[in-house]
Amino acid sequence: MTKVIRTENLTKVYNHTVVPVHALGGVDLEVEKGEFTAIIGPSGSGKTTLLNMIGGLDHPTSGRVFVGDTEMTALKESKLIDFRLRNIGFVFQSYNLIPVLTAKENISFIMLLQKRSKEEMEARAIQLLQEVGLTDKADVRPQKLSGGQQQRVAVARALASRPQFVLADEPTANLDTQSAFNLLDIMQKLNEEEHITLLFSTHDQRVIDRARRVIKLVDGKIASDERR
Amino acid sequence: MNGIVKISWRNVWRNKRRSLVILMAVALGLWGGIFATGLATGMVTQRFRIAIERQISHMQIHHPKFIDYDEVKYHIPEAAELVSHLSSDDFVMSVSARTMASGMVASSAITAGVQIIGVDAEQERATTRFDEFVVDGDYFTDAGRNPVIVGKRLADKMKIEPGSRLVLTFPDMQGEIVRASFRVAGIYQTTHTQLDELRLYVRRSDLQALVGEGEPVNEIAILLNDVEHLSDVIAQLKNRYPELSIRSYAEISPEVSYMQEMAGITYLVIIIIILLALAFGLLNTMLMTVYERTRELGMLMAVGMNKKRVFLMVMLETTFLTFTGAIVGILLGGGTVWLTARNGVDLSGVGGDTLTDFGYDAVVIPELHTSFFLNLVILVLCTSFLASVYPAFKALKMRPAEAIRKD
Ligand SMILES: Nc1ncnc2c1ncn2[C@@H]1O[C@H](COP(=O)(O)OP(=O)(O)OP(=O)(O)O)[C@@H](O)[C@H]1O
Ligand SMILES: [Mg+2]
Repeated sequence: MTKVIRTENLTKVYNHTVVPVHALGGVDLEVEKGEFTAIIGPSGSGKTTLLNMIGGLDHPTSGRVFVGDTEMTALKESKLIDFRLRNIGFVFQSYNLIPVLTAKENISFIMLLQKRSKEEMEARAIQLLQEVGLTDKADVRPQKLSGGQQQRVAVARALASRPQFVLADEPTANLDTQSAFNLLDIMQKLNEEEHITLLFSTHDQRVIDRARRVIKLVDGKIASDERR
Repeated sequence: MNGIVKISWRNVWRNKRRSLVILMAVALGLWGGIFATGLATGMVTQRFRIAIERQISHMQIHHPKFIDYDEVKYHIPEAAELVSHLSSDDFVMSVSARTMASGMVASSAITAGVQIIGVDAEQERATTRFDEFVVDGDYFTDAGRNPVIVGKRLADKMKIEPGSRLVLTFPDMQGEIVRASFRVAGIYQTTHTQLDELRLYVRRSDLQALVGEGEPVNEIAILLNDVEHLSDVIAQLKNRYPELSIRSYAEISPEVSYMQEMAGITYLVIIIIILLALAFGLLNTMLMTVYERTRELGMLMAVGMNKKRVFLMVMLETTFLTFTGAIVGILLGGGTVWLTARNGVDLSGVGGDTLTDFGYDAVVIPELHTSFFLNLVILVLCTSFLASVYPAFKALKMRPAEAIRKD
């Protein structure tokens, strides 16, 4: 199996001059292609921090992050943005979408930044809308979509760039049970059918049950890591 | 790129009320600035045309010494031949040859220093339409002896009217003082009241007879068909008559052309001040916008929108906002100028006689030059650039991880 993500002794200390907060205390983690992994743990255990490091949104205090063969932690800021654009899909808890763009335009947006051809953008956006079951909402702006629909557009947007993996920080936190299951179904389907590597954090037991691998963080360290 | 243009344009309309307020500010500011500029430009153009067509003409020829000494003896040699040469030039519309003397005028009431200008009635009519300035009496029409046309201001001071008698005193060709009695034939009034008080018009032949020695001519004023040919005509004449002083209106009256240049700069400065004030409003609006969108900007950078594009997006949004307002302002301002240009704007209520005292007409036809609009567009562009740089840098400062985390 190919490794998509590898972290080496990752640590993160916030506020190291005032009152240091040790958010991550040496995380070694490997994620293989096609894995469907949940990161769980109590509030403040470092889930978001870990995802931010892996996503290249923040710099670790020490340790390294590899994505494929690239040492992401060694990239300069400008290179890093471009690297994220080409390799990582993001789904956040909220505020995922550009309010002034329609669902379809939001999905195309990443491909636009990647300078894909018009035809490819169009075809992929339509395909993804179909996969997340929102073909009829293609021309609707986010504020007219429900929370669950917005998150599905966000998942589609994250996949549009054909990333190496998708990171999702509590993607279901703001959703009701039905919408949460719906989103999970889609994520699971994409994982199984398109072998998308998915790494997400959650508090939600309903979500945890669906994951194929569950990593538990406690106080910024991996307390358990089980595949099932 | 295309997508960023789209987002920026739609972002302008996200907070409609806020955008409309700043947009109206830009539009109204420019409307005022443009109309004021139109009025002022119209005044200057009018002043310029009056100065040239009714007063200075396009060019004048003198004996070089006449300019400094103002004495009749410094006359143009072989003036008649020169006048006929000029009259046959295709570029020349009309020529007026004048005999001039500085002297004194005396009536029963007062005495005043004056410039006595001897003109040929027909030539002067063709060159400065002087006959139209005559408000009372006649313009050298009857054949009576020694008629003189006096400016209104002077006539009022001297309490004279057509039919009154005046005594003029001036040096002749030898420098001997000549006294002669003239009969007031008419009263004239130009837009330049100060000059009206100084200048007396008599028949050239009368003055020439009094100063003696042939038919001296001190000044030849030339009106061309088209000002475009001015430098060509001057060059030719200078070549042909190197011993004469041949000057364009700009050399005779530099203030006339300076006035145009200076006016152009003044209006731009006014527009710049208006735009600068607007820039602060725009800056404020854009800063609010950027702060409000902290999370969204963080998300955009997280998913891979690079700094160049974020910067461009904020810049474009500001530019769209500014230009939408500017276009409305230009349409309003340009429209107002266009509408008022038909009948002119009567400023006599505002300026009163002050305007005419300085050689302006009270009814101003507003006008604008294409170059003004070009400068305006460049300035508006600079304004939106100025107003957007700081907010755009603020937008770049967002750290995606923190922007997203905030709840
Ligand atoms: N920017 C920051 N500055 C200071 N401390 C921070 C910052 N971000 C996170 N922390 C701290 O780091 C620790 C880990 O936070 P993190 O957000 O990663 O936890 P989490 O597991 O995602 O929690 P939650 O389940 O509440 O989202 C916490 O103690 C938090 O207070
Ligand atoms: Mg978290």
